[in-house]
Amino acid sequence: MAGELKYAEAIRRALADELATDPAVVVMGQEIEALGGVFTATQGLAERFEGRVLDTPLAESATVGWAIGAAMAGLRPVVEIMFMDFITTAMDQIVNGAAKLRYMSGGQVAVPIVIRTPSDAGTGHGPQHSQHLETWFAHVPGLVVAMPSTVADAYWMLRHSIQDDNPVVFVESKYLYFRESGEIGATGAADHPYAARIARSGRSVTIVTAGRMVAESLAAAESLATEGIDCEVVDLRFIWPYDREALTESVERTNRLIVVHEAVGDFGWGGEVCSWAASELFYSLDAPIRRLAAPRAPIPFASHLESVIVPDRSAIESAVRDLARH
Amino acid sequence: MTNPSEMPVGDTPSDRLKLYETMVRIRELETGIESLHYGGRMHGSFHSSMGQEAAAAGVIGCLRPTDLVTSTHRGHGHAIAKGMRPTTIIAELLGLQQGSSGGKGGSMHLHDVACGFLGENAIVAGGVPWAAGAAWASRRLGKDLVAVSFVGDGGVAQGVLAETLRMARTWGTPLLVACENNHLAHSMPVERTFGEPGSIAGWAAGFGMRAEYVAGDDVFAVHRMAAEMIDEVRATGRAAFVEIEAWRVRAHSLNDPDYRYLAKDLGKSYLQTHDPIANAERDLPLTEADATAIRERIAREIAEAIDAAFEGQAAPVRSATTGVYSEAFEQEGRLRGW
Ligand SMILES: Cc1ncc(C[n+]2csc(CCOP(=O)(O)OP(=O)(O)O)c2C)c(N)n1
Ligand SMILES: [Mg+2]
Repeated sequence: MAGELKYAEAIRRALADELATDPAVVVMGQEIEALGGVFTATQGLAERFEGRVLDTPLAESATVGWAIGAAMAGLRPVVEIMFMDFITTAMDQIVNGAAKLRYMSGGQVAVPIVIRTPSDAGTGHGPQHSQHLETWFAHVPGLVVAMPSTVADAYWMLRHSIQDDNPVVFVESKYLYFRESGEIGATGAADHPYAARIARSGRSVTIVTAGRMVAESLAAAESLATEGIDCEVVDLRFIWPYDREALTESVERTNRLIVVHEAVGDFGWGGEVCSWAASELFYSLDAPIRRLAAPRAPIPFASHLESVIVPDRSAIESAVRDLARH
Repeated sequence: MTNPSEMPVGDTPSDRLKLYETMVRIRELETGIESLHYGGRMHGSFHSSMGQEAAAAGVIGCLRPTDLVTSTHRGHGHAIAKGMRPTTIIAELLGLQQGSSGGKGGSMHLHDVACGFLGENAIVAGGVPWAAGAAWASRRLGKDLVAVSFVGDGGVAQGVLAETLRMARTWGTPLLVACENNHLAHSMPVERTFGEPGSIAGWAAGFGMRAEYVAGDDVFAVHRMAAEMIDEVRATGRAAFVEIEAWRVRAHSLNDPDYRYLAKDLGKSYLQTHDPIANAERDLPLTEADATAIRERIAREIAEAIDAAFEGQAAPVRSATTGVYSEAFEQEGRLRGW
């Protein structure tokens, strides 16, 4: 598959290819038919796959519940939740339904659904359209949480998630939709489906991150390299399950670890990664583990306020510099 | 061709007897479970459907084995009527490996996919979109089936029910929502939230679907109404709603202090005036001797089921942390340390 695609186009292509390959796939969500999705992810799909890409009423809870029922009956529904903040209205169906059904039915049913939803600040959408909530879902047994950072991953991870027999919360980057371009390549790069990706190899510090913070971390790593700080950037790809083998190998190389994410730091997934690393990788560490994440505040509208909240390359640079000196 | 034994219950004398027997089976099961609890042989809690047997028997009696049902926290009756084996139910309530969910679900999470019982859901009204989506998907997959989703009067206040009815109206799905208005949502009288019996059906009619009310102390009336509505749902693929007035004759759940909000003998007096089983005996009609013989036969059947359930084994300890994800996923996780 030659040619560069935007991140949003990669999502669209993954949906199209799954719809074309597996007749059990249906796509449901708001404004996805005629409009093609507010971020164009389903543009043209309703025409191409008649009756399989369907507008729902503005009813997230019923939509997810409906998808659960459809999955139990043999379909593989992909639900689009327009902005991740709106997923709050479907929490019961995700947490008490999708996540628990396999377990509480004693394995009689599976719920192979994907809930695609965009998150990120950086687009001027304000407090109720920008929050990163992936930690909530990573906390719930039964769910898989995916967070692709590249065009290739947007494509291959979505295809894999649709074929996954577990419910997947698929967190897309609305910041990257039209900024990130790249090639899909012939296959997914990872050696197993939930593997992390070493986005940059280095020997001084391991930066563990995901989603659009991967790009920020890579940019920070480039400028830190000029100062002689050689960062390894680990793109987790999945918040659950997160790749402990890759983390172990990386920290054994660098002996320093910092976790960077856009979600609020307090009780965020970085805390989990740090806690795990502190107990399992303690003897490989030469310095205290660091965490760089959003402070305890919603995402403000004004750009100059937003930049106070969301970690960026310069915040990553100074945090890493500090850690490297340790 | 449908196997004659798989045909839904119709209106012949033997069909009517079948409805009666289903009600007796439910009553005996609930009574049996109650005594296991009081005898200290079963842990946890449960919500008895005693007194509401006509809704389960009457509505599910119209269904084919391939049709689907979702249920509520008060769903033992629905499970039995849909064909779940009493032994499997009791074993689940005992937390045993032989239970329908291997002891992971318990009283509020009975599932039996083979019977088309897509599960209780203890989140009030949470199962309604499951039924809607499953019926919709099944149609797309070429199966000529319908789904029934039970919900309580309290559940009608849940947003997800309104959302699902709206979505059913938008997309079309062969679904009958069967609302058991048993006058109470725990301690909240239905009059305070909705009004007189029939108001809930009136509310549902506002979604542009057929919505009916039927008295739930007459299994034959419930059955007639449900049969007609399910035929229509099956033929048109459009959703409908039926409110079945019933009476909760037991406390909300096992240890609920219902004396705080109900007259102490209310359950008993409800049963004296509205017992669907007694009414069916009168209407069939059954002689006292015939009724006693049937009740005794079914009581024995349930007692044997309970004894058989006790033969089961405790679920293996390792099952507590497995079956959360697919087998392949968990295998990968064991290999890679998550
Ligand atoms: C979403 C949710 N809220 C509250 C509860 C606690 N609860 C369980 S049953 C019940 C009353 C339900 O009333 P109704 O729907 O009329 O069913 P009934 O118990 O009468 O069968 C309540 C409040 C719950 N299980 N789920
Ligand atoms: Mg009630």
